[in-house]
Amino acid sequence: MSSGIELRDVVKSFGQGGDAVAAVNSVNLDVEHGQFLTLLGASGCGKTTTLRLIAGFESPTSGEIRFQGRNVTDVPVTHRDMRMVFQDYALFPNMNVFDNVAFGLRVSRARRRYSSTEVSRRVREYLDLVQLSEQPTRMPHQLSGGQRQRVALARALITDPSVVLFDEPLGSLDAKLRKAMQVELKRIHKELGKTFIYVTHDQEEALGMSDRIAVMNAGRVRQYGSPEEVYREPNCRFVASFIGAANVLEAKVESGNGNEAQIRLKNDWVGKVPATTPVRSGENVGLMIRAETARLRRENSASGADGVITVRATVAERLFLGDRIEYHVELTGQGGDLRIHIPATEAEEFDVGDSVDVDIRPEDTRILAD
Amino acid sequence: MLFWLAPPILWFTVFMLVPYAMLFYYSLGSVNYVTFEPGFSAANFIKVFTTQPYLGVMLKSAKLGLMTAIFTSILAYPVAFCLAFYAPAGRAKNFLYMLVIVPWWASYLVKAYAWKTILGSHGLINQLLLNTGIISHPLTFLLYNEFSVALTLTYIFTPFAILSIYSQLERIPVSLIEGARDLGATGWQIFYKIVFPISVPGILAGAVITFSLAFGDFISPALVGGPNSIMISNIVINLLGRAFDWPLAAAIGLVIIGMATALITVANHIERRLTVRL
Repeated sequence: MSSGIELRDVVKSFGQGGDAVAAVNSVNLDVEHGQFLTLLGASGCGKTTTLRLIAGFESPTSGEIRFQGRNVTDVPVTHRDMRMVFQDYALFPNMNVFDNVAFGLRVSRARRRYSSTEVSRRVREYLDLVQLSEQPTRMPHQLSGGQRQRVALARALITDPSVVLFDEPLGSLDAKLRKAMQVELKRIHKELGKTFIYVTHDQEEALGMSDRIAVMNAGRVRQYGSPEEVYREPNCRFVASFIGAANVLEAKVESGNGNEAQIRLKNDWVGKVPATTPVRSGENVGLMIRAETARLRRENSASGADGVITVRATVAERLFLGDRIEYHVELTGQGGDLRIHIPATEAEEFDVGDSVDVDIRPEDTRILAD
Repeated sequence: MLFWLAPPILWFTVFMLVPYAMLFYYSLGSVNYVTFEPGFSAANFIKVFTTQPYLGVMLKSAKLGLMTAIFTSILAYPVAFCLAFYAPAGRAKNFLYMLVIVPWWASYLVKAYAWKTILGSHGLINQLLLNTGIISHPLTFLLYNEFSVALTLTYIFTPFAILSIYSQLERIPVSLIEGARDLGATGWQIFYKIVFPISVPGILAGAVITFSLAFGDFISPALVGGPNSIMISNIVINLLGRAFDWPLAAAIGLVIIGMATALITVANHIERRLTVRL
């Protein structure tokens, strides 16, 4: 762990006295060397501030940041072995592509002096790495968004930092280009073996690229785990609803042992579900159901296996999404609605207004206490 | 569309085109004693370029204009820089901004006259030096010369340069500076490799404004200038008011306008070439 980055109880408040707002609140993170970590959250959740704290552009109000085993809390930006790729790319508009990329090699705090042939060789090497085919004599304003992104990346990588920080770098690209750049970034990460810390509000981006995701909300890390973990095993309602299309049904715990809980739904369905979190009898909990795990069938048609959770509902909305169909169904006799994804290859389709039964296998649910 | 364009077109015609045409008409004529006689002769223009003191004073005015442009730029840059990068947004910044603009609330005459009371032989500086015993006779080189004219012009026109440079510096996104810092650049390197090159068009634009204003000025030379520091506008005023040589005054005016237009065109061209697209 000592070669990575550690955040210990890091707090960053802006403003003074009574007006102080904690943008980052007691954040603890351990990032192993070579990992691709994504800080995921909505705007204003503190993810960018956390990144800027790691970079050294901000200093924490309290807490400690350690890097490669030493305390870097008060070490200035230039002395941390990290480079940042900015949201607006921050390419120097008065320099062409070549000079932009070479910048880190030419400034006085470069690790050593590079001869001009060496500079050209490295610039070419890194432009190849990011697959920029444009002439290096072009100016930034002559490049497309995706090309600027590549230049910014090459500029950050050329000084061979051990950590590269990304502040929503793909935010301003169109969807198709964003996808291509995601693949690209992942390839470069694998190729270089550096630690990447990536900030985004796009859950798909986070799930696709990361080794680890820290889901943030209101300045706190709500869950920290692999993409599979935060998707399949969210630890709270926030994470469940932020990542993927999740539904949460209100439930009451009737009894529970370590492995199973007997719960009662609002429609009086009673049954056992896995106790994914410790529960107490009488406690109100949320039951998470992923949109793609629920099944729809016509009302009162033959039910599935025993123990399957069944709720009655009416189809309120049907959205054709290409590979799947998204149904919004309103629960009968209780508030709320569910979003359900059915593969478009499935034969049976439903129309708005149809009465349906929703089947959910208990093992596909998770109890969310918080 | 035409409805909205009518007032400016009318304004431009009545107060710009017509006067210029009249100026041109006068410049081709001549004066017999105090009566204007229309004509079609380039004699006045030839006179401007061949007879002293006209050409010499014009060059001297240009020199003073250039000095003013250089001094204001040097003074304005640090102020604009602080305003753009060091003044925390909000009250402090507004206050600084106000300090730059406040001198404009005072009349030009008052400001020029103020320098007289500072630099004169009974002025602030001399009194201070006399009272402290550093000198025994008042210094006379402070006032009524080119130096005092350049100083006054610089003082009066510096805000133009500040605002012009500031508007350019303000465009620079913070991320550029952070990016350079992140890549290991020192403060000085960030300045001369990134900030300064981007701000050059602002300096140039400010310099053109201050040069033009100083070049055509007649109040400062009249108040704080000496016999050797009259400027071309003072000569024009004398030709109009005392010598009644309107044709020659018109010719000088047109030459000045021509020079200014040429200067602005060249400066604009350079500015456009140096402007960095963000």
